[in-house]
Amino acid sequence: MAGSLTPTAHPTARPGGAGRPRTRLPALRWLLLRLGGAVFVVWAVATVTFFAIRLIPGDPAEAIVGGPGSQASDEALAEARADYGLDQPLPVQYLQYLGRLLRGDLGRSYALRDDVTTVIGENVGGTLTLAVASLALASVIALALAVWSARGGRAAGAVTSLLEIVAAAVPHFWLAISLILLFSSTLGWLPPVSVPGPLGLVLPVVTLALPLSGFLGQVMRESLLTALSSPFVLAARARGEGDSGVFWRHALRHAAIPAIGLAGWAFGALISGAVVVETIFARPGIGRSLLSAVQGRDVPLVTGIVISVAIVYMIVTTLTDLADRLVDPRLREEAR
Amino acid sequence: MHRRLTSLLATTAAAALLVGCTAEATPASGDPVTGGTLVYATGDAEPTCLDPHVGGNYPQALIATQYLESLVSKDTDGEVIPWLADSWQVSDDGLSWEFTLKEGVTFTDGTPLTSAAVAANVAHVQDPATASSTGYLALAKVTGVEEVDELTARITLSSPDSGLLDSLSQTWLAIQSPTALERTQEENCEAPVGTGPFMVEAWDRQESVTLSRNDDYSSPPADAAHTGAAYLDGIEWRFIPDSASRYAALQSGTVDVIDNVQPDTIVAAEDDDAIDHIDAPRPGASNRLELNSSVTPFDDILVREAFIRSANVDDAVSSLFFGTAERSYSALSSVETLGVSDESLFEYDPDAANDLLDEAGWTGRDADGYRTKDGETLALTFPVSTNQSIPAEQSLFEQLQSTAAETGFRVDLEPLDLASWYAALGENDYDLVSAPYTKVGADVLRILFDTSGTVPAPSGYFANHAQVKDPEVDALLAQASATSDAGERAELYAEVQQRVLEGFYILPLYDQQNHYLHSTDVQGMRALPTVSTPALYDAWLGR
Repeated sequence: MAGSLTPTAHPTARPGGAGRPRTRLPALRWLLLRLGGAVFVVWAVATVTFFAIRLIPGDPAEAIVGGPGSQASDEALAEARADYGLDQPLPVQYLQYLGRLLRGDLGRSYALRDDVTTVIGENVGGTLTLAVASLALASVIALALAVWSARGGRAAGAVTSLLEIVAAAVPHFWLAISLILLFSSTLGWLPPVSVPGPLGLVLPVVTLALPLSGFLGQVMRESLLTALSSPFVLAARARGEGDSGVFWRHALRHAAIPAIGLAGWAFGALISGAVVVETIFARPGIGRSLLSAVQGRDVPLVTGIVISVAIVYMIVTTLTDLADRLVDPRLREEAR
Repeated sequence: MHRRLTSLLATTAAAALLVGCTAEATPASGDPVTGGTLVYATGDAEPTCLDPHVGGNYPQALIATQYLESLVSKDTDGEVIPWLADSWQVSDDGLSWEFTLKEGVTFTDGTPLTSAAVAANVAHVQDPATASSTGYLALAKVTGVEEVDELTARITLSSPDSGLLDSLSQTWLAIQSPTALERTQEENCEAPVGTGPFMVEAWDRQESVTLSRNDDYSSPPADAAHTGAAYLDGIEWRFIPDSASRYAALQSGTVDVIDNVQPDTIVAAEDDDAIDHIDAPRPGASNRLELNSSVTPFDDILVREAFIRSANVDDAVSSLFFGTAERSYSALSSVETLGVSDESLFEYDPDAANDLLDEAGWTGRDADGYRTKDGETLALTFPVSTNQSIPAEQSLFEQLQSTAAETGFRVDLEPLDLASWYAALGENDYDLVSAPYTKVGADVLRILFDTSGTVPAPSGYFANHAQVKDPEVDALLAQASATSDAGERAELYAEVQQRVLEGFYILPLYDQQNHYLHSTDVQGMRALPTVSTPALYDAWLGR
């Protein structure tokens, strides 16, 4: 965890034993280990979703021929079962499913009658736009709060701390409806549902960004304050750095490190938030697909989306760890 | 006896009706203006297939009404009127129906409307590969279609079906281009081809379906307000699942029409001069609680009546629906002309309820004050489908739970997702249930109350949740279905309803709610009197 920035935190944190001679390949080995772990996680996720969704009562063939409670004929149900291999025993279905997964085939959506990869491909753009924009806005807000609290004295610290806690605690659906009531229904400034162009992106992005900025802000403020009271700041001052030089050039960089570490977590939070936000603001995306897939018992689409999110999550966390190693020289030192 | 309805009769009726919707018609002011795109926002689920033959649910009917048309329609008086068929006649034995099609009608892909098209559509619905459920059931008695000549199709039946015209008026049995039906199901689901005033241009999943005007349109139903092409250039059909954002979108002018309007929103919109309200209850059954008469305690008619007398429905409806829903005392929707209503059977009377339970032997009381008999508590399992019951209805059930508790009933509400809810019904693990059923015509009584309705379909589905197994009812239903005499049919259905109501098998609540709100810019919009879906052919934008 990259949040441990106090100098005392490091000397003890050396798994693998100090003093053992190290090769120049730890980076590669680290990457291979990560990769192996990632494959394991994806397999576990795929397996758990595959079996969990089958615990829902009802016949998946019904989902294919028109949803639960369909009055489909025997022939229609039999045809659907044969089409999707549901007439096979469960272990066979599971193995077939893993086999397809290895070939990158996520199967066919029951409800949309389209390949899951195609459905995800069509919808991932909307969610990524939303997630990236929200992450950017959240970072800007968090940074602003951190800077203000560090430079604005005791009162500013108390106010920002309160703001961050409130922001982090607000549920997405409440925030979304409140923003719609204020900015669409009452003021009429912004469209309540997605419209072409950036205007329709404003409310959904703010809804996702505010709670996230609360979390990021708290972490950034902590590390900024810690950094400002660290010996290296004193050293910088001793070299003749001015106030703003110390602040912008040295301390602020440290505040960024925990934020990077949180990116993996933030990604997960953004995807779960996207389920709510995309539904309320009627935006096409992965979150909304996931919700309707769960409601319609669309097994391939649910498993496909969950696996894709898991894969992206693994990539994001690997990249953030990698970024940590690049930004924070101490982590590389440790590896030598 | 040969019955013949001519288009002449119906057109005169239509002229008088002009814009008819079941309750609050939109007054058309000024002259219609051509042009503009109407934005319609639906709160129903996005269809997985735009062809309502496939599966066959309400969301599909909503949108398909814009581009597909049926052989017949109905007017606001419940009379069957010409649409794609100009006239029809039934044989003396009731086993064959001859439909004469409108001349010169073409599908939007250029295919002419002929008897072959009717045959192809019936075959399509009956093909297991289509996986039709609603349309398939409605055509259960249809054995085939003969092409008598180019414009005459003869539908043959295995036994007489007095509800055939009602069934054929439904969007789930709309007529599509036979050429288009030959494509793969994927292609046909993506863009079905009909004769309607609009046609499917593009489907942007999760976002909208773009519909454009059919400039060659020539087949409005007999009760339409004008002839020729539609006024609107097109319709943008949007999917906005959240009720609050849908209403905000209407208020802000982002959309022009919304459906699935909740009671609180209807009340809020009443104060808004820029918004009009269309109340269009769905046909078929009323929304009602069904009392499972196949298991204790509701196998005892005394307990059934006691429950009905113990439930204070009126107060709950008025407090939770703010006057937007009218109390029903019938098994059928108020739009069904053959519905029988009997208020006296459903009066809230806790004293009578207590006496009935005493009489039925539920005289003991447990620690919580619920009644007991032979050590067993008077408990009722009530699975609630959170997909099918709006929040106000779920609150209503909670209020009924508390008024019934005063008489000593313990009602266990179990909110369930759709799949689990159907599973609970399939396992006969319920005492009370509320299940909507939309169908045109009184024949819905056969589905809901015939003994055969207690036998689950292959998928586990059954519709007779009250589990009425009354040979007398079955016989009356069979007679009603077979008779070709309208008066006799009405009497038979009345008798069925009386038996069901007096048997205390159901507790009617209100019509199946179906409300539209639209901007006052939208003129001439109405709900189709068949399945109450929005008809936008006569609509125009006055902004």
